[in-house]
Amino acid sequence: MSKSVRKPVPARAPILPLLLLEKLLSAAMSRGAEFAEVYVERSTTTAVSLDEGKVRSAQVGAVTGVGVRAIRGAQVGYAHSDDLDEAALLRTAQTAALIAEGNRDPGPVSLSRTPLPTYYQVHQPLAAVEVARKVELVREADAAARAHDRRIRQVTAGYADQTREILVANTLGHLAEDRQDLCRLGVSCVAFGKGGERRTGFYGGGGRVDFRFYEDFSPAQVGRESARQAIATLGAVPAPAGPQTVVLAPGWSGILLHEAVGHGLEADFIRKGTSLFAGKLGEKVASELVTVIDDGTVAGGRGSLNVDDEGNPGERKVLIEKGVLKGYLYDHLNAKLTGQRSTGSGRRQSFRHAPMPRMTNTYLAPGDQTAAEIVGGVHKGLYCRQFGGGQVDISNGNFVFEISEAYLIEQGEITRPVKGAMLIGVGPEALKNVSAIGSDASFDPGLGTCGKDGQSVPVGVGLPTVRIDDVTVGGTGA
Amino acid sequence: MQAQAAAATQKRDATLLDVCEQLVALARKAGASESEAYAERTRESSVKVREGNVEELQQATSKGVGLRVITAGRLGFAYGTDFSKEGLRTLAARAVSLAKSSAKDRFNELPRGSQLGHGPDGAYDPAIEDIDPAWKLRAARAAEAAASQADRRVRKFEGTSAGDFLARSAIASSRGASGESKASYAYVVCSPVAEADGQLQTASWSDTRRRLAELQSPEEIGRIAAQRAARMLGARKVKTQKAAIIFEPEQAAGFLAGLSGAVNGDLVHKKSSFLARHLGKRIAPEHVTVIDDATLERGLATRPFDGEGVASQRTVVIDRGVLKSFLYDAYTAGKAGARSTGNAVRGWSSLPHIGTSNFVLQPGERGAGEILRGTRRGLLVTAMLGSGANVVTGEYSRGANGLWIEDGQIVHPVQEVTVSGSLLDMLQAIDAVGNDLDLRSSTAAPTLRIAEAVISGS
Repeated sequence: MSKSVRKPVPARAPILPLLLLEKLLSAAMSRGAEFAEVYVERSTTTAVSLDEGKVRSAQVGAVTGVGVRAIRGAQVGYAHSDDLDEAALLRTAQTAALIAEGNRDPGPVSLSRTPLPTYYQVHQPLAAVEVARKVELVREADAAARAHDRRIRQVTAGYADQTREILVANTLGHLAEDRQDLCRLGVSCVAFGKGGERRTGFYGGGGRVDFRFYEDFSPAQVGRESARQAIATLGAVPAPAGPQTVVLAPGWSGILLHEAVGHGLEADFIRKGTSLFAGKLGEKVASELVTVIDDGTVAGGRGSLNVDDEGNPGERKVLIEKGVLKGYLYDHLNAKLTGQRSTGSGRRQSFRHAPMPRMTNTYLAPGDQTAAEIVGGVHKGLYCRQFGGGQVDISNGNFVFEISEAYLIEQGEITRPVKGAMLIGVGPEALKNVSAIGSDASFDPGLGTCGKDGQSVPVGVGLPTVRIDDVTVGGTGA
Repeated sequence: MQAQAAAATQKRDATLLDVCEQLVALARKAGASESEAYAERTRESSVKVREGNVEELQQATSKGVGLRVITAGRLGFAYGTDFSKEGLRTLAARAVSLAKSSAKDRFNELPRGSQLGHGPDGAYDPAIEDIDPAWKLRAARAAEAAASQADRRVRKFEGTSAGDFLARSAIASSRGASGESKASYAYVVCSPVAEADGQLQTASWSDTRRRLAELQSPEEIGRIAAQRAARMLGARKVKTQKAAIIFEPEQAAGFLAGLSGAVNGDLVHKKSSFLARHLGKRIAPEHVTVIDDATLERGLATRPFDGEGVASQRTVVIDRGVLKSFLYDAYTAGKAGARSTGNAVRGWSSLPHIGTSNFVLQPGERGAGEILRGTRRGLLVTAMLGSGANVVTGEYSRGANGLWIEDGQIVHPVQEVTVSGSLLDMLQAIDAVGNDLDLRSSTAAPTLRIAEAVISGS
């Protein structure tokens, strides 16, 4: 354990008093752990929802809690409490300490604040913005969606934000604090077509941004885009099944990287040898056109982190450079066990969860072609404009992602809409088949949530227009 | 290892209903015309091992309460974890103030009168409450060891865990809802990775039960997990084609879970479910019966009342192929002119919404082996990727892993394919229902065969 000289206590008081934090760390070390950490979280969540033209509900939740972790070798003890009195917290620290089986006086721990970078600055906490203004967002979105086309018959709109203050203190003497605001507006539409046909649209966005964000990213525009998607796919024909050339529109299509390579580069899977990317550093794992970056420093990004949930600053990491595997995503534990350093990738859903390596904002570096050139070069294929969710099996690399709006490409032209399409592939094979990359790099609008081992965290993804050859499209058409 | 810390916090459970009643009183004082509080306290602990060593030990108690208020027909909701007098007062004031922001809706009414009540309690096993902390470590180690021994190609593990979970909840409302319920669960989960010729295949097998004595043995869980991972080695794509699909019980349950959204009374009322227009019509063959039953003996989701205090009940959703009923909570039932089926689900941090309880496709008479042997060409689906069913459009498309069948025999493992079809067509094409139903999850089904769907591959 390293010791640091105590610095003068800064003006703003932390969520828990410094002395109590130090006491909890000592308690967590009391049975012989090598490292301990206290994570304190205070969050306020606000949500409004609109359904069938009416503001259905407005809600606010306030949750505060503490998670204590003790580590010895590869062994982790984790306990948490939403009771903040000293006795309850000490019990929690002692429970985490049980991972080690000894009895040792760990000596005192003294904490000093770690200075942090600033990748988002939300001036007025979102929790402090009047609920009436949030209600206005969903009303405007609903009205715009309904006005777009008479066939838009169902609209649900939801806005949610969170103002989350975190504090991480550990036995290395680090104390880091951050306020992480996050908001998201989402609008779903159902278009009613002929003969009982139903098509859906979904759009929205947000990030770690001021509420003013919605002055430019207007709710009306969100409502219209959601409605457009539902209307555009009315009368769609079944997607052709089997291998074909696909072109992905920029933005949310970055989910391809997230599923096809991102998860497989998380250091827990690498350390355990259960990812197909384990042991492949320096090897070619993608087409040389492909450079993949995970970047926690994107201004206002949904996945951005001034500091991760282990107190380490957010970073920009090049994972794949010109097709060659360059690095993995490390949290504290997996870095320590493999002699690496943390890449600021230790994240957790809340104080109720132990951290693990996760992505932040994952994107593909742009190429030099225009979208029109890329589409124009495809004789026969599928143009994928909007996307649903995805999933990956880390061991064999199989990934899927759903295409919610897609069109046939015939003789270099985008033609008829198709329905029910899904892409399936094996990560490295799909990336080796990337044959063109556009210059139109773009992030998703701020909608993504990633799930792993039962924990959800907000993430961003990004992709320019990309052409991939020989991808299997799941569908029912010929 | 010991676990004394958690026991100390259990005594306070007696106050959960008090917390709810206090909140209802505070809400009335703050100006709510109707209010309902729902509180939970949970205790959970788990041990994860890898290569024989403890990798993670987790233990915690959690609590929380949510307050729904209606003032002049407007709905407000607030939740929090602070049970102090001051904390509850803040919560009540917040919920009442939030109600001003939402729209007036005459269907905003809490259930009352004869709707409220208690069905049978779900199983609560004191053996889980008093579980020997060493049991979890022993069980996890035994499962992992059995997996290693079952197949020598299993050399790595994502992890193997054992754990327990206790939950108590209480509800009180100004309309007379009042009740407490408790549940216990124990589980073992093993996720080995098999390796051969540079290919990795993972599989996971787990068992969760409300009574400790009913849990599958850890050795059995480990062995099954290992066999499931190893049998996938050498998996490859098949050609794009139409063929039979056999869903193993776990995958059949996944298919059924996808369908469950289509009988959600809210989507039906909004004409946004592909089944909305099919009430009273045949949507599947005679041998398909689906029942939602919150009173089911041994069910993982069995409970005395739903998330808004409505007595638990049994609802036949599909009766011998005919669509008989949709599922409702009180609000949607009011809008749709139906009765609540006791299907409001919630946690303390969410408003009640419609969800299933024990949603079970009833078993048939044929053995799984017999169904397989009677299949000329098809895919036995053993794992899936993606979410699959779109109940608005009625389309189904999902990534699948499995085993290829020719002339009733398994010939090779398959990966990187999708199974697609229209949900209505797939329902009507269910041509075999197995007798191997096991209530391993709250949504459960036996082996199912779909005569034909599209498999997309090479």
